[in-house]
Amino acid sequence: MTPAGPHRSIRRPAAGRRTEPMPPINRLVHRVLMIGLTISATLLVTGLVVWGARGGAALPRSVTGPAQAVRDVGRLRPVGFFSLGLLALILTPFARVAGTIVIFLREHDRRYAVITATVLAIMIASIFLGRV
Amino acid sequence: MLRSDTVPQMNLTFFLIFLTAIVAGVFGSMLGIGGALVLVPVITLFLGVPVKTAIGASIVSVIATSSAAQIGYIDRGITHTRLGMVLELATSLGAIAGGITAVLVSPRALQGLFAAVLLWAAWGMRRRRRDAGSDGPTGLLDAAYTDPADGRRVEYGVRRLPLGLAFSFVAGNVSGLLGVGGGAVKMPVMNIVMRMPLKAAIATSNFTIGVTAATSAAIYFGRGYVDPKVAVPTALGILLGAPAGPRIAGRLPSEVLRTIMVLAMITFAVQMVVKAVSG
Repeated sequence: MTPAGPHRSIRRPAAGRRTEPMPPINRLVHRVLMIGLTISATLLVTGLVVWGARGGAALPRSVTGPAQAVRDVGRLRPVGFFSLGLLALILTPFARVAGTIVIFLREHDRRYAVITATVLAIMIASIFLGRV
Repeated sequence: MLRSDTVPQMNLTFFLIFLTAIVAGVFGSMLGIGGALVLVPVITLFLGVPVKTAIGASIVSVIATSSAAQIGYIDRGITHTRLGMVLELATSLGAIAGGITAVLVSPRALQGLFAAVLLWAAWGMRRRRRDAGSDGPTGLLDAAYTDPADGRRVEYGVRRLPLGLAFSFVAGNVSGLLGVGGGAVKMPVMNIVMRMPLKAAIATSNFTIGVTAATSAAIYFGRGYVDPKVAVPTALGILLGAPAGPRIAGRLPSEVLRTIMVLAMITFAVQMVVKAVSG
């Protein structure tokens, strides 16, 4: 089992892959997704290895917040790696939206900068509303 | 270290969820509707995962499918990134307004409505069979891509954007409430209402579903509804399976994809009716 799925498309030329250069916005989305998924998959697989090495003991029923997860990683508890890995996966789309705002601003495309900034604001607002 | 008899059983379930997620990842990314359609019924009916835990894992699966598949679709230049962002605005507004709808409409009525919308969309997709190709540029958000199946350059524009936005709003609204992806609504809407070519609709729908799913997932994560025993094999399986979706979707003729999509939507509608009836 390897986490290399997302990597492959970069190394091996895929069938029908476009040859012309990608627009900056696509290049950014591509890069952010690749980085986010690589971090996530690495943490999850490391968690599996640690879990296996410790005899596959029962896991807690829920993931934990980032602070507790970092402490758990320090103590080599698999749930810490799993929590951080899933958190990285969940935060990847947030990073993708945030990154596109920067690109649109740099291209002086105000309309799309406002659209994406609004999307990010709604995403963050939804989380706070959902917590209540 | 204490090793009870339940440990091998647990690991078998873990492995079976992983295998299911690989299939869900291929299927979901190929059709632009996320992996939940395959994942949730299999793990709840056959692997004994409680529904609440399955929903947490299903949302994780949608993010993983969207992100992993998007790498492939962007590589091939098929995704309409700008349109995706405009639709994300409507979808996320719909999702945040979900709380209001929840007060007004019962979950059963919503599931019934969702099933009806899916059947309508399946019917519409089938009818589009004859005029399957692109309708050409419209001057509104025009875009182009090369179809990997036949090397043909497809140029198209967007039609009826306001109606498409309205549907995306509803898709976000309903998907937030029912814990199902809006992809099965958004994909057909882009194809039928906005007249986008099928592959562009798949890639762009796939792009947008990650946003609503990430928001829901963050809420679920915070509430402690994400169970690592289910979510971890789901995420890993999807990450392994989803990159194959764009490759398969790229090579398949649009007509074959369309037929698979119609069948998937009917299946989804039946699932919704069963849920609505059984409560």
